[in-house]
Amino acid sequence: MPGEHIVRSYEEQLKRLRELVARMGGLAERQVADAATALIRRDTEMATAVVGRDGEIDALETEIENFCVRLLALRQPMAADLRLIVAAMKVSTDIERIGDYARNAAKRAIVVSQQPQIGSLNGFQWMARLVQENLKDAIDALVKEDAVAAERVWAADAPVDDIYNGIFREMLTHMMEDPRNITAATHLLFIAKNFERIGDHATNIAETVHYAVLGHMLPEDRPKSDASAYTVVRPPV
Amino acid sequence: MGDSMTKANASAAPQQAGLHARSNAALNEPRIAVRGLDFFYGSNKALKNLDFDLPERQVTGMIGPSGCGKSTLLRVLNRMYSLYPGQRATGQVLMDGQNILDDSTDINALRSRIGMVFQKPTPFPMTIYENIAFGIRLHEKLSKSQMDERVEWALTRAAIWGEVKDRLNSSAMGLSGGQQQRLCIARTIAVRPEVILLDEPTSALDPISTLRIEELIDELKRDFTIAIVTHNMQQAARCADQVAFFYLGELVEVAPAEQMFTAPKQKRTQEYITGRFG
Repeated sequence: MPGEHIVRSYEEQLKRLRELVARMGGLAERQVADAATALIRRDTEMATAVVGRDGEIDALETEIENFCVRLLALRQPMAADLRLIVAAMKVSTDIERIGDYARNAAKRAIVVSQQPQIGSLNGFQWMARLVQENLKDAIDALVKEDAVAAERVWAADAPVDDIYNGIFREMLTHMMEDPRNITAATHLLFIAKNFERIGDHATNIAETVHYAVLGHMLPEDRPKSDASAYTVVRPPV
Repeated sequence: MGDSMTKANASAAPQQAGLHARSNAALNEPRIAVRGLDFFYGSNKALKNLDFDLPERQVTGMIGPSGCGKSTLLRVLNRMYSLYPGQRATGQVLMDGQNILDDSTDINALRSRIGMVFQKPTPFPMTIYENIAFGIRLHEKLSKSQMDERVEWALTRAAIWGEVKDRLNSSAMGLSGGQQQRLCIARTIAVRPEVILLDEPTSALDPISTLRIEELIDELKRDFTIAIVTHNMQQAARCADQVAFFYLGELVEVAPAEQMFTAPKQKRTQEYITGRFG
């Protein structure tokens, strides 16, 4: 991190900006974790709480956006400061989307909890944990201005995609085995998709952080392994 | 010399140069190439081994803290230091392959090729018309109608014609600060130089006059190669195609303006332009 800014109030504002993003990221991590736990424990109370808390994330996004616009207008930031402020705006948009996905997953968890249980939900637990870790590491990388950590997160999304592919096939199989599974399995598919998208947004954040710290972009091609778009499961004959 | 011939072409030809968009990162051929330049005030070395180019018909912004050598460099580029004993420059400042630091350089001819505008407007205590005509007479012999035409051309190019055309015979001292500075720019371009050096040309002006000058710089770079020293980083960002950062007589970094202000390569540049210089 560069040295202290000569104007102390500016330095403090930049620090506050980092803190706001960290707080927003922390909230989103908790939302993701709680949505997954609510699903696995069939805990509708917890799921309802997740849905209710999404407004806090949205409010933080607005606060960060306004704060950034103010900094841009009043401080005319340059170089690393400019990149940090632009990054904060982009990252807050990603986190806001992550919050929406977590809320949606929680809503569906409520529906799923009222359906008969199908299969094991271990994959969901794993997936939620992985994306939550990636999200945390990406936000930490922003706060610590650690481009190496950001690049690590950026490259770490493939296992999430693998689990997602597994869940996709599993849910199709459940639906074919017994049409009564269709409601739960469909919601579970969407929940898995939500977590997978959260992982993608975490990698977006990592890309933004990398740019903010070093001033150049990561390459276009990120390691990916989401194959669900091509997946076909044959019905039993 | 062939000087007047090149000038005759200069006013008509260079329209196509204006097409060079600022974002086209490729910088033009150098109009002035500085190579291994050292400069001394007595025994004090104020510029240290500078190497860089002023690309043809582009604006080069020079930034750096007070005392870093940027104004000194401008003074070297048009040999103004030659007026003072004890000041000397070594190395090369090449213009059309000729080292202008050579003793054989005709300094008057050089200053008609490299014009300079200072921080504070410096109109002569004469009429507006005479302010422009005075410099031209030093270099060229024009008829009355040619002179009228040239004065109008210079004032028009400096975006002040409309404001002064009805009072060309009034004293220039009656103009506002911003108008005086545009008059000085008109006076500089009246002799049709190739290079214009601007030493903090807007630091004494209000924001609107400043924007007028910046707009003018943008317009003038179609025909002239421009170097501008400024303490205002946003100004460098707004006006310059390439920006050079100087510190303690050294050139720390020179890069296209966009890169300089979004992702400078050198730590010292980064610290200076973000206000963390300690």
